[in-house]
Amino acid sequence: MLSDTEAVELLSFLKADVRPDVKGQAVEYILGLSSHRDGCQFLRSNPNFLVALVDLTSDPTADIVKNCYHALINLSADETLHQLLVTKANVLPVLFKNLLDPEYPFSDRICTILTNLSRHEKTCTTVFKVLQEDVGLAQLVEIFCTEGYNKKASLHYLGPLLSNLTQLPEARNYILDKDRCVIQRLLPYTQYQASTVRRGGVIGTLRNCCFDYVHHEWLLSDAVDILPFLLLPLAGPEELTDEENEGLPVDLQYLPEDKKREEDPDIRKMLLETLLLLTATKAGRQTLKQKNVYPVMREFHRWEKEPHVVLACEKLVQVLIGDEPEKGMENLMEVNIPEDVQEKLIGADAKEQQELEKEQEERRQKEGKNQVPEGMER
Amino acid sequence: MASSALQDDSDDGMDEFIDKFRTHKYKNAFNESNWEEEFEKVPMFMKTAPEEIDPKTHPELACLQSMIHDDDRTPEEQAMSLKNEGNEYFKEKNYKNAILSYTAGLKKNCGDQELNTVLLTNRAAAHFYLGNMRSALNDATAAKKIRPDHLKALVRGAQCCLELRNFAEAIQWCDAGLKAHPTDKKLQELRAAADKQKRAAERDARKAKAQKKKTRTEKEALLAAIKERGIKLMQHNKVRQHSSDSEDEDGGSARGLAELSLDGLSSQEATGAQVFLDPQGSLHWPVLFLYPEHQQSDFISAFCENSCFIDHLAVMFGEELPPWDTDRKYLPQNLQLFFEDEEKDTLYQVDPETSLLKVLQHNRCFVKAGSPSFIVLVNGSSFRTQFLTGKKVQRLS
Repeated sequence: MLSDTEAVELLSFLKADVRPDVKGQAVEYILGLSSHRDGCQFLRSNPNFLVALVDLTSDPTADIVKNCYHALINLSADETLHQLLVTKANVLPVLFKNLLDPEYPFSDRICTILTNLSRHEKTCTTVFKVLQEDVGLAQLVEIFCTEGYNKKASLHYLGPLLSNLTQLPEARNYILDKDRCVIQRLLPYTQYQASTVRRGGVIGTLRNCCFDYVHHEWLLSDAVDILPFLLLPLAGPEELTDEENEGLPVDLQYLPEDKKREEDPDIRKMLLETLLLLTATKAGRQTLKQKNVYPVMREFHRWEKEPHVVLACEKLVQVLIGDEPEKGMENLMEVNIPEDVQEKLIGADAKEQQELEKEQEERRQKEGKNQVPEGMER
Repeated sequence: MASSALQDDSDDGMDEFIDKFRTHKYKNAFNESNWEEEFEKVPMFMKTAPEEIDPKTHPELACLQSMIHDDDRTPEEQAMSLKNEGNEYFKEKNYKNAILSYTAGLKKNCGDQELNTVLLTNRAAAHFYLGNMRSALNDATAAKKIRPDHLKALVRGAQCCLELRNFAEAIQWCDAGLKAHPTDKKLQELRAAADKQKRAAERDARKAKAQKKKTRTEKEALLAAIKERGIKLMQHNKVRQHSSDSEDEDGGSARGLAELSLDGLSSQEATGAQVFLDPQGSLHWPVLFLYPEHQQSDFISAFCENSCFIDHLAVMFGEELPPWDTDRKYLPQNLQLFFEDEEKDTLYQVDPETSLLKVLQHNRCFVKAGSPSFIVLVNGSSFRTQFLTGKKVQRLS
């Protein structure tokens, strides 16, 4: 690694007034450092470099700015650097300010950095705080939902950013605000073919929002109508009976022959998890049963090949066709059982049910067989 | 003195002044017989304004009007009065006149953009209640152009789009509105309604498409079945200009069947019946039996191809002979059937014990107008001899 004197010299080259070619080479060197662990360690111990890097994002030379952002992307991928980046280097205001600019050419890189920084709760909280001060979540959603907001950037990574932010209850509360129209604007993106990143980000956001079961009734009501948007990516071209069709949400009726299901298995799993969350309350279970979610899942189960997705599907189906839980346990989320135990219980229940049914069937058969001999004996 | 005046309950001299009128009329009094009419003329007591204000009969009103519309005032003032006038008409649900007032106000081209926005928005509302959605939308759009955040214009624009069933645009209006007024309930409601209706309309389109496809598939299967059996359909010389069945994608098959169904309707005995394929895969044809001797005919709407002619004849001429058979000679065992080959000018005699399918497959049998027809003659009758004179007859091999 660099010696102390070398470090000081290098730092001096990272100033705005230095000759462009020298500055450029210095930035390239930092970019190199940022791409491996030792380099990151060095920068962690010498945070002034981070400050310089952030300052140089306003450099007039495009190549230098580009390399700064690349370095920042690498650095933000390292969790141990997060606090330094947002405090000492104070990168957030710069990022947000440029994000708002519809002409800014590096907005996609900004989104990636923000997504990285918001991954873990501690820094995520800081990101959200600065977001609210400088831009506001409303603006962020607006930018995300405005087609062609920035001609030079797709802004698809705002999707995962939103998803990360919704790990915080404050962010979820904003998106789930009944007095506004926020979540409704995100729903159509569950089928956004042009970008897996955007699609996955939105679905992740919806899943996180469904953790708060108090909102379930509203989410399933006409005011939001989240169900069809979750089901549509999972529905296929298979024909259902007229009766099954009639009960489906409007968006799932008469699907064309060329209907394709969601291609990404992780996204399919997220959708199933979200649906499972919505079965936590009795009302939610009833709604999903009424709206014929089961036939859709039945066809999906036949089609799905990935084992971990099949399992998620089976969990959902279990709730849809299983009996209602006993009194006092109707809200599956309020029962105080740790999640892993809960899973085991549900699995055990299922197994028990199967064995019970098997026993009953055998008993029935035995009785049937015994009927005749007894009569004859008499 | 003061206290006693109060106790008196009236001024001195007032009583006398009033008493005078018991006997004398006061000057300019209303006439007893038409005082109500007179009342109506006083601007303050009018219940409704007259359509036209004639200065001779309503001098006070004419005076007021000229004050309101005095051209000496600034455009802003005039526009403001016109706006108020329009609002008054609006309250009375007189939307036509309201529009006239608002339009007059806008024509003043006053510099007050706020006022112009209101005039446009109000006019949009008046158009809306008259059902002029396009005009209302135009006005709302114009208002939005001046003041992009004007809530009433944004709501009205969304409502118009919704009425015009332009759901995507309605949602756009709502989103634009919600940007400036994020918590407005009306906009949220409209957005939810537009979204719901949009998705229902998409479902309806999908349903119609699926239905169309099903119909087309059925038609194709029918034509294929006919072709498979080697049955020949006679093409008609006249080609219809418009056919309700033929579309871009359908092409040839539709045309073939279109002719079948359309021409089937042109025959005299037409009931709109058409050949169809039953679930077991058999064709059923509408068949005509012609009795040239008596200028009569019988129409069988669904003759199964596997049935024989004698099966039908036995029923038609079984129990009772038809009333037109005056000679009582059309007994099933006496009947002879022929189909005509127009091109070769030949009659082919059909054995009644054969099936319809076998006959239709004959290489000189052509199905005309989608309906096979057969001539019925009585064996040994003079008409038969007469009818067949000069004609070529062949027995079916």
